Amino acid sequence: MTVANMEAAISLRGMKLQHDRFALGPIDCDIPKGMVTAIVGPNGSGKSTLFRALLGLEPVLSGEAEVLGTPLNGNQEDQYKSRIGFLAENPHAHENHLTADEKAKFASRWYPGWDWEKYRKLLRHFDVDGGIRLSKMSKGMRRKAELSIAMAHDPELLMLDEPSSGLDPFAWKTMLQELGRYMEPGDRTLVLATHILEEIKRLADYILFIYRGRVLGLYEKDRLLDDWRTIVVQIEYAQKGGSEMLQRTPGFQGLTEAGPGLYRLEVDEPERGEAYCRDNGFQVLAVQRMDLEDILSCLIRKEEARR
Amino acid sequence: MWLPIRIDEQRPEPLYHQIEVQLRGLILGGQLKEGTLLPSIRELAVSLKCSAITVRRVYQDLENEGLIRTRQGTGTFVAGVGTVAREEHRLERVTEELEKAIELGLQLQCAPEEIETAFRQALHRKSTERGGDAT
Repeated sequence: MTVANMEAAISLRGMKLQHDRFALGPIDCDIPKGMVTAIVGPNGSGKSTLFRALLGLEPVLSGEAEVLGTPLNGNQEDQYKSRIGFLAENPHAHENHLTADEKAKFASRWYPGWDWEKYRKLLRHFDVDGGIRLSKMSKGMRRKAELSIAMAHDPELLMLDEPSSGLDPFAWKTMLQELGRYMEPGDRTLVLATHILEEIKRLADYILFIYRGRVLGLYEKDRLLDDWRTIVVQIEYAQKGGSEMLQRTPGFQGLTEAGPGLYRLEVDEPERGEAYCRDNGFQVLAVQRMDLEDILSCLIRKEEARR
Repeated sequence: MWLPIRIDEQRPEPLYHQIEVQLRGLILGGQLKEGTLLPSIRELAVSLKCSAITVRRVYQDLENEGLIRTRQGTGTFVAGVGTVAREEHRLERVTEELEKAIELGLQLQCAPEEIETAFRQALHRKSTERGGDAT
Protein backbone atom coordinates (compact mmCIF):
# COMPACT_ATOMS: atom_id res chain seq x y z
CA MET A 1 0.00 0.00 0.00
CA THR A 2 1.76 3.13 -1.13
CA VAL A 3 0.63 6.70 -1.18
CA ALA A 4 1.54 8.41 -4.44
CA ASN A 5 4.09 11.27 -4.55
CA MET A 6 4.63 11.20 -0.85
CA GLU A 7 7.73 10.81 1.21
CA ALA A 8 7.27 8.16 3.88
CA ALA A 9 8.06 8.78 7.55
CA ILE A 10 7.56 5.10 8.28
CA SER A 11 7.95 2.40 5.71
CA LEU A 12 7.11 -1.24 6.38
CA ARG A 13 7.73 -4.07 3.92
CA GLY A 14 6.38 -7.44 4.98
CA MET A 15 7.29 -6.68 8.57
CA LYS A 16 6.51 -9.54 10.97
CA LEU A 17 6.78 -9.76 14.74
CA GLN A 18 6.07 -12.63 17.05
CA HIS A 19 5.16 -12.64 20.71
CA ASP A 20 4.36 -15.75 22.69
CA ARG A 21 0.65 -15.10 22.24
CA PHE A 22 0.47 -12.62 19.43
CA ALA A 23 1.64 -12.39 15.84
CA LEU A 24 1.79 -9.07 14.04
CA GLY A 25 2.05 -8.83 10.29
CA PRO A 26 3.12 -9.23 7.65
CA ILE A 27 2.53 -5.49 7.39
CA ASP A 28 3.13 -3.49 4.23
CA CYS A 29 2.51 0.22 4.34
CA ASP A 30 4.02 3.68 3.99
CA ILE A 31 2.97 6.28 6.52
CA PRO A 32 3.33 9.61 4.74
CA LYS A 33 5.47 12.42 6.10
CA GLY A 34 3.79 15.72 6.92
CA MET A 35 0.45 14.04 7.52
CA VAL A 36 -1.70 12.76 10.36
CA THR A 37 -2.35 9.02 10.23
CA ALA A 38 -4.85 7.46 12.61
CA ILE A 39 -4.43 3.77 13.41
CA VAL A 40 -7.84 2.30 13.94
CA GLY A 41 -8.83 -1.22 14.94
CA PRO A 42 -10.59 -3.19 17.66
CA ASN A 43 -8.79 -3.87 20.96
CA GLY A 44 -6.02 -6.38 20.57
CA SER A 45 -5.41 -5.60 16.89
CA GLY A 46 -1.76 -4.90 17.53
CA LYS A 47 -1.70 -1.11 17.63
CA SER A 48 0.47 -0.85 20.74
CA THR A 49 2.75 -3.66 19.56
CA LEU A 50 3.22 -1.78 16.29
CA PHE A 51 4.29 1.34 18.21
CA ARG A 52 6.71 -0.69 20.30
CA ALA A 53 8.20 -2.16 17.14
CA LEU A 54 8.66 1.30 15.60
CA LEU A 55 10.53 2.32 18.74
CA GLY A 56 12.82 -0.68 18.34
CA LEU A 57 11.42 -2.36 21.46
CA GLU A 58 10.21 -5.46 19.61
CA PRO A 59 12.58 -7.38 17.37
CA VAL A 60 11.52 -7.51 13.73
CA LEU A 61 11.26 -11.19 12.86
CA SER A 62 11.21 -10.81 9.10
CA GLY A 63 10.62 -8.17 6.45
CA GLU A 64 11.85 -4.59 6.62
CA ALA A 65 10.95 -1.59 8.72
CA GLU A 66 12.29 1.92 8.32
CA VAL A 67 11.53 4.85 10.61
CA LEU A 68 12.68 8.36 9.65
CA GLY A 69 15.15 6.78 7.25
CA THR A 70 16.65 4.44 9.86
CA PRO A 71 16.29 0.72 9.08
CA LEU A 72 15.25 -1.27 12.15
CA ASN A 73 17.43 -4.32 11.72
CA GLY A 74 18.43 -4.92 15.31
CA ASN A 75 21.70 -2.92 15.13
CA GLN A 76 20.16 0.50 14.63
CA GLU A 77 21.55 3.31 16.76
CA ASP A 78 19.17 4.73 19.35
CA GLN A 79 19.79 8.16 17.88
CA TYR A 80 16.75 8.10 15.56
CA LYS A 81 14.53 7.89 18.63
CA SER A 82 15.55 11.34 19.76
CA ARG A 83 13.62 12.64 16.73
CA ILE A 84 10.47 10.85 17.89
CA GLY A 85 7.99 11.87 20.56
CA PHE A 86 6.03 9.03 22.07
CA LEU A 87 3.11 8.82 24.47
CA ALA A 88 2.47 5.27 25.68
CA GLU A 89 -1.01 3.95 26.27
CA ASN A 90 -0.36 3.43 29.99
CA PRO A 91 1.84 5.46 32.32
CA HIS A 92 5.02 3.82 33.55
CA ALA A 93 4.79 2.82 37.20
CA HIS A 94 8.52 3.36 37.75
CA GLU A 95 7.98 7.07 37.10
CA ASN A 96 5.24 7.42 39.73
CA HIS A 97 7.52 9.03 42.30
CA LEU A 98 8.69 11.74 39.86
CA THR A 99 7.07 15.11 39.46
CA ALA A 100 6.26 16.18 35.90
CA ASP A 101 9.19 18.63 35.99
CA GLU A 102 11.56 15.89 37.15
CA LYS A 103 10.48 13.61 34.33
CA ALA A 104 10.92 16.55 31.94
CA LYS A 105 14.45 17.03 33.27
CA PHE A 106 15.34 13.44 32.37
CA ALA A 107 13.81 13.92 28.94
CA SER A 108 15.70 17.18 28.40
CA ARG A 109 19.04 15.35 28.70
CA TRP A 110 18.08 12.75 26.15
CA TYR A 111 16.52 14.99 23.46
CA PRO A 112 18.88 17.48 21.77
CA GLY A 113 15.90 19.53 20.58
CA TRP A 114 14.44 19.91 24.07
CA ASP A 115 12.84 23.31 24.63
CA TRP A 116 11.96 24.28 28.22
CA GLU A 117 9.99 27.26 27.04
CA LYS A 118 7.84 25.02 24.84
CA TYR A 119 7.35 22.58 27.75
CA ARG A 120 6.21 25.38 30.09
CA LYS A 121 3.88 26.79 27.43
CA LEU A 122 2.28 23.39 26.90
CA LEU A 123 1.82 22.87 30.66
CA ARG A 124 0.22 26.31 30.95
CA HIS A 125 -2.09 25.67 28.04
CA PHE A 126 -3.07 22.32 29.53
CA ASP A 127 -3.40 23.89 32.96
CA VAL A 128 -0.99 21.48 34.68
CA ASP A 129 1.22 22.17 37.69
CA GLY A 130 4.56 20.55 36.85
CA GLY A 131 5.61 20.40 40.51
CA ILE A 132 3.14 17.66 41.40
CA ARG A 133 4.14 14.01 41.56
CA LEU A 134 2.84 11.98 38.62
CA SER A 135 1.29 9.45 41.00
CA LYS A 136 -0.65 12.20 42.75
CA MET A 137 -2.15 13.48 39.52
CA SER A 138 -5.56 12.43 38.20
CA LYS A 139 -5.46 10.25 35.11
CA GLY A 140 -6.29 13.13 32.79
CA MET A 141 -3.82 15.49 34.49
CA ARG A 142 -0.99 12.97 34.13
CA ARG A 143 -1.94 12.43 30.49
CA LYS A 144 -1.64 16.16 29.85
CA ALA A 145 1.72 16.33 31.62
CA GLU A 146 3.12 13.35 29.70
CA LEU A 147 1.83 14.72 26.41
CA SER A 148 3.59 18.02 27.11
CA ILE A 149 6.82 16.14 27.76
CA ALA A 150 6.39 14.09 24.56
CA MET A 151 5.96 17.25 22.50
CA ALA A 152 8.49 19.59 24.11
CA HIS A 153 11.38 18.67 21.80
CA ASP A 154 9.25 19.36 18.72
CA PRO A 155 9.84 15.84 17.35
CA GLU A 156 9.80 15.11 13.62
CA LEU A 157 7.53 12.16 14.34
CA LEU A 158 4.97 12.15 17.13
CA MET A 159 3.37 8.83 18.03
CA LEU A 160 0.47 8.86 20.46
CA ASP A 161 -1.22 5.75 21.80
CA GLU A 162 -4.78 6.61 22.84
CA PRO A 163 -3.81 10.19 23.75
CA SER A 164 -7.24 11.33 24.83
CA SER A 165 -7.99 8.61 27.35
CA GLY A 166 -8.91 10.26 30.63
CA LEU A 167 -9.12 13.78 29.19
CA ASP A 168 -12.17 15.91 29.89
CA PRO A 169 -13.79 17.65 26.88
CA PHE A 170 -11.94 20.92 27.55
CA ALA A 171 -8.54 19.26 27.78
CA TRP A 172 -9.44 17.26 24.69
CA LYS A 173 -10.07 20.45 22.75
CA THR A 174 -6.79 21.91 23.96
CA MET A 175 -5.06 18.76 22.80
CA LEU A 176 -6.58 19.05 19.32
CA GLN A 177 -5.40 22.67 19.14
CA GLU A 178 -1.88 21.76 20.19
CA LEU A 179 -1.70 18.89 17.72
CA GLY A 180 -2.97 21.19 14.97
CA ARG A 181 -0.27 23.69 15.88
CA TYR A 182 2.33 20.93 15.90
CA MET A 183 1.38 19.97 12.33
CA GLU A 184 1.35 23.56 11.10
CA PRO A 185 4.93 23.72 9.67
CA GLY A 186 3.93 20.93 7.27
CA ASP A 187 6.95 18.64 7.73
CA ARG A 188 5.89 17.01 10.99
CA THR A 189 4.29 13.58 11.09
CA LEU A 190 1.67 12.48 13.60
CA VAL A 191 0.62 8.88 14.08
CA LEU A 192 -2.05 8.19 16.64
CA ALA A 193 -3.97 5.15 17.74
CA THR A 194 -7.46 6.05 18.82
CA HIS A 195 -10.99 4.78 19.22
CA ILE A 196 -12.54 8.23 19.28
CA LEU A 197 -14.23 8.73 15.93
CA GLU A 198 -14.59 12.47 16.38
CA GLU A 199 -10.85 12.71 16.96
CA ILE A 200 -10.16 10.82 13.75
CA LYS A 201 -12.60 12.99 11.83
CA ARG A 202 -11.02 16.18 13.08
CA LEU A 203 -7.37 15.25 12.90
CA ALA A 204 -6.62 12.48 10.48
CA ASP A 205 -5.51 12.76 6.87
CA TYR A 206 -5.04 9.01 6.51
CA ILE A 207 -6.56 6.05 8.32
CA LEU A 208 -4.71 2.78 8.77
CA PHE A 209 -7.17 0.02 9.64
CA ILE A 210 -5.66 -2.93 11.42
CA TYR A 211 -7.28 -6.10 12.66
CA ARG A 212 -5.79 -9.19 14.30
CA GLY A 213 -2.29 -8.01 13.52
CA ARG A 214 -2.94 -7.36 9.84
CA VAL A 215 -3.42 -4.20 7.82
CA LEU A 216 -6.88 -3.99 6.26
CA GLY A 217 -5.97 -0.86 4.35
CA LEU A 218 -4.47 2.61 4.41
CA TYR A 219 -7.02 5.11 3.19
CA GLU A 220 -7.22 8.82 2.58
CA LYS A 221 -9.85 9.78 5.13
CA ASP A 222 -11.96 12.22 3.12
CA ARG A 223 -11.97 9.94 0.12
CA LEU A 224 -13.13 7.08 2.32
CA LEU A 225 -15.98 9.15 3.73
CA ASP A 226 -16.87 10.46 0.27
CA ASP A 227 -16.81 7.11 -1.48
CA TRP A 228 -18.35 4.67 0.94
CA ARG A 229 -22.15 4.76 0.89
CA THR A 230 -25.03 2.63 1.99
CA ILE A 231 -27.67 2.21 -0.69
CA VAL A 232 -31.03 1.03 0.61
CA VAL A 233 -32.82 -0.92 -2.12
CA GLN A 234 -36.21 -2.51 -2.38
CA ILE A 235 -36.53 -5.65 -4.45
CA GLU A 236 -39.83 -7.05 -5.73
CA TYR A 237 -40.77 -9.81 -3.33
CA ALA A 238 -41.14 -12.41 -6.07
CA GLN A 239 -37.99 -11.40 -7.95
CA LYS A 240 -35.55 -14.27 -8.14
CA GLY A 241 -31.80 -13.88 -7.74
CA GLY A 242 -32.08 -10.30 -6.58
CA SER A 243 -29.49 -10.53 -3.85
CA GLU A 244 -27.02 -12.30 -6.19
CA MET A 245 -27.44 -9.45 -8.62
CA LEU A 246 -26.83 -6.93 -5.85
CA GLN A 247 -23.57 -8.68 -5.02
CA ARG A 248 -22.35 -7.82 -8.50
CA THR A 249 -22.88 -4.09 -7.94
CA PRO A 250 -19.82 -2.01 -8.96
CA GLY A 251 -17.76 -1.22 -5.86
CA PHE A 252 -19.61 -3.89 -3.87
CA GLN A 253 -18.45 -4.12 -0.24
CA GLY A 254 -21.27 -5.65 1.74
CA LEU A 255 -24.92 -6.59 1.78
CA THR A 256 -27.37 -7.12 4.62
CA GLU A 257 -31.06 -7.89 4.52
CA ALA A 258 -32.98 -5.21 6.40
CA GLY A 259 -36.49 -6.63 5.95
CA PRO A 260 -38.52 -8.57 3.39
CA GLY A 261 -37.15 -7.52 0.02
CA LEU A 262 -35.25 -4.66 1.65
CA TYR A 263 -31.46 -4.60 1.44
CA ARG A 264 -28.68 -2.39 2.72
CA LEU A 265 -25.98 -2.43 0.12
CA GLU A 266 -22.52 -1.10 0.96
CA VAL A 267 -20.43 0.21 -1.93
CA ASP A 268 -17.33 2.32 -2.47
CA GLU A 269 -18.29 3.50 -5.95
CA PRO A 270 -21.50 5.32 -5.12
CA GLU A 271 -22.43 6.71 -8.53
CA ARG A 272 -21.83 3.58 -10.54
CA GLY A 273 -23.39 1.49 -7.78
CA GLU A 274 -26.56 3.52 -7.69
CA ALA A 275 -26.84 3.57 -11.49
CA TYR A 276 -26.42 -0.23 -11.57
CA CYS A 277 -29.27 -0.69 -9.06
CA ARG A 278 -31.61 1.57 -11.01
CA ASP A 279 -30.68 0.00 -14.36
CA ASN A 280 -31.57 -3.41 -12.96
CA GLY A 281 -34.97 -2.25 -11.85
CA PHE A 282 -34.26 -2.11 -8.10
CA GLN A 283 -35.91 0.74 -6.28
CA VAL A 284 -33.33 2.93 -4.55
CA LEU A 285 -34.91 4.23 -1.33
CA ALA A 286 -31.93 6.08 0.11
CA VAL A 287 -28.22 6.69 -0.38
CA GLN A 288 -26.28 7.61 2.75
CA ARG A 289 -22.69 8.29 3.63
CA MET A 290 -21.27 5.66 5.99
CA ASP A 291 -19.50 6.54 9.19
CA LEU A 292 -16.11 5.15 10.09
CA GLU A 293 -17.50 2.51 12.44
CA ASP A 294 -19.64 1.03 9.70
CA ILE A 295 -16.78 1.10 7.22
CA LEU A 296 -14.48 -0.62 9.71
CA SER A 297 -17.00 -3.34 10.52
CA CYS A 298 -17.58 -3.90 6.82
CA LEU A 299 -13.82 -4.31 6.26
CA ILE A 300 -13.64 -6.69 9.21
CA ARG A 301 -16.52 -8.80 7.89
CA LYS A 302 -14.73 -9.08 4.56
CA GLU A 303 -11.47 -10.06 6.26
CA GLU A 304 -13.27 -12.67 8.36
CA ALA A 305 -14.89 -14.13 5.25
CA ARG A 306 -11.46 -14.31 3.59
CA ARG A 307 -9.82 -16.23 6.46
CA MET B 1 -8.61 33.79 9.57
CA TRP B 2 -12.03 32.20 9.62
CA LEU B 3 -13.85 31.50 6.35
CA PRO B 4 -17.64 31.14 6.13
CA ILE B 5 -17.49 27.69 4.53
CA ARG B 6 -19.85 24.93 5.57
CA ILE B 7 -19.69 21.26 4.71
CA ASP B 8 -23.02 19.51 4.36
CA GLU B 9 -22.54 15.79 4.89
CA GLN B 10 -26.00 15.06 3.54
CA ARG B 11 -24.99 16.35 0.10
CA PRO B 12 -23.62 13.76 -2.28
CA GLU B 13 -20.84 16.02 -3.66
CA PRO B 14 -17.34 15.13 -2.45
CA LEU B 15 -15.90 17.29 0.33
CA TYR B 16 -13.21 18.92 -1.82
CA HIS B 17 -15.87 19.94 -4.32
CA GLN B 18 -18.09 21.50 -1.66
CA ILE B 19 -15.18 23.49 -0.25
CA GLU B 20 -13.91 24.51 -3.67
CA VAL B 21 -17.29 25.80 -4.85
CA GLN B 22 -17.75 27.88 -1.70
CA LEU B 23 -14.24 29.31 -1.64
CA ARG B 24 -14.45 30.16 -5.35
CA GLY B 25 -17.78 31.83 -4.59
CA LEU B 26 -16.25 33.93 -1.81
CA ILE B 27 -13.49 35.12 -4.13
CA LEU B 28 -15.58 35.72 -7.24
CA GLY B 29 -18.38 37.21 -5.17
CA GLY B 30 -15.92 39.79 -3.84
CA GLN B 31 -16.29 38.82 -0.15
CA LEU B 32 -12.58 37.97 -0.16
CA LYS B 33 -10.66 40.92 -1.56
CA GLU B 34 -7.49 40.75 -3.60
CA GLY B 35 -4.44 40.26 -1.42
CA THR B 36 -6.31 38.62 1.48
CA LEU B 37 -4.14 36.04 3.25
CA LEU B 38 -5.92 32.69 3.34
CA PRO B 39 -5.55 30.22 6.23
CA SER B 40 -2.71 27.70 5.95
CA ILE B 41 -3.65 24.27 4.62
CA ARG B 42 -3.53 22.67 8.07
CA GLU B 43 -5.45 25.52 9.69
CA LEU B 44 -8.32 25.29 7.21
CA ALA B 45 -8.32 21.50 7.39
CA VAL B 46 -8.67 21.59 11.17
CA SER B 47 -11.44 24.17 11.11
CA LEU B 48 -13.42 22.31 8.42
CA LYS B 49 -12.69 18.88 9.97
CA CYS B 50 -11.37 17.61 6.69
CA SER B 51 -7.95 16.36 5.70
CA ALA B 52 -5.01 18.49 4.64
CA ILE B 53 -4.98 16.55 1.38
CA THR B 54 -8.46 17.84 0.56
CA VAL B 55 -7.55 21.46 1.28
CA ARG B 56 -4.33 21.16 -0.69
CA ARG B 57 -6.34 19.90 -3.64
CA VAL B 58 -8.75 22.86 -3.38
CA TYR B 59 -5.88 25.36 -3.19
CA GLN B 60 -4.17 23.71 -6.15
CA ASP B 61 -7.33 23.84 -8.28
CA LEU B 62 -8.01 27.48 -7.45
CA GLU B 63 -4.39 28.37 -8.06
CA ASN B 64 -4.63 26.76 -11.50
CA GLU B 65 -7.71 28.86 -12.15
CA GLY B 66 -5.72 31.95 -11.21
CA LEU B 67 -7.96 32.83 -8.27
CA ILE B 68 -5.29 32.46 -5.60
CA ARG B 69 -1.51 32.41 -5.54
CA THR B 70 1.02 30.96 -3.16
CA ARG B 71 4.15 32.85 -2.22
CA GLN B 72 6.91 30.63 -0.90
CA GLY B 73 7.22 31.04 2.80
CA THR B 74 4.55 33.70 3.22
CA GLY B 75 1.32 31.90 2.45
CA THR B 76 -1.61 31.76 0.07
CA PHE B 77 -3.30 34.97 -1.08
CA VAL B 78 -6.41 35.91 -3.05
CA ALA B 79 -5.43 36.99 -6.57
CA GLY B 80 -6.97 39.82 -8.58
CA VAL B 81 -10.17 38.71 -10.30
CA GLY B 82 -11.33 40.25 -13.59
CA THR B 83 -14.80 41.75 -13.99
CA VAL B 84 -15.64 39.26 -16.74
CA ALA B 85 -14.94 36.28 -14.50
CA ARG B 86 -17.04 37.84 -11.77
CA GLU B 87 -19.99 38.41 -14.13
CA GLU B 88 -19.77 34.87 -15.46
CA HIS B 89 -19.71 33.53 -11.94
CA ARG B 90 -22.88 35.41 -11.00
CA LEU B 91 -24.84 33.72 -13.77
CA GLU B 92 -23.27 30.34 -13.07
CA ARG B 93 -24.32 30.53 -9.44
CA VAL B 94 -27.90 31.47 -10.29
CA THR B 95 -28.14 28.71 -12.87
CA GLU B 96 -26.82 26.21 -10.37
CA GLU B 97 -29.41 27.13 -7.73
CA LEU B 98 -32.22 27.11 -10.28
CA GLU B 99 -31.17 23.66 -11.41
CA LYS B 100 -31.46 22.43 -7.83
CA ALA B 101 -35.01 23.80 -7.59
CA ILE B 102 -35.96 22.26 -10.94
CA GLU B 103 -34.53 18.92 -9.85
CA LEU B 104 -36.75 19.03 -6.78
CA GLY B 105 -39.77 19.93 -8.90
CA LEU B 106 -39.20 17.02 -11.24
CA GLN B 107 -38.70 14.69 -8.29
CA LEU B 108 -42.10 15.81 -7.01
CA GLN B 109 -43.54 14.96 -10.43
CA CYS B 110 -44.32 18.56 -11.43
CA ALA B 111 -44.81 19.18 -15.15
CA PRO B 112 -42.33 21.58 -16.80
CA GLU B 113 -45.16 24.08 -17.36
CA GLU B 114 -46.06 24.00 -13.68
CA ILE B 115 -42.45 24.65 -12.73
CA GLU B 116 -42.26 27.52 -15.21
CA THR B 117 -45.42 29.10 -13.80
CA ALA B 118 -44.14 28.68 -10.26
CA PHE B 119 -40.83 30.27 -11.28
CA ARG B 120 -42.54 33.31 -12.84
CA GLN B 121 -44.78 33.77 -9.83
CA ALA B 122 -41.88 33.49 -7.41
CA LEU B 123 -39.79 35.91 -9.46
CA HIS B 124 -42.65 38.38 -9.57
CA ARG B 125 -43.36 38.11 -5.85
CA LYS B 126 -39.72 38.50 -4.82
CA SER B 127 -39.13 41.45 -7.15
CA THR B 128 -42.21 43.23 -5.81
CA GLU B 129 -41.04 42.59 -2.25
CA ARG B 130 -37.75 44.22 -3.12
CA GLY B 131 -39.53 47.11 -4.80
CA GLY B 132 -38.18 46.13 -8.22
CA ASP B 133 -40.11 46.32 -11.46
CA ALA B 134 -39.63 42.90 -13.05
CA THR B 135 -42.65 41.58 -14.96
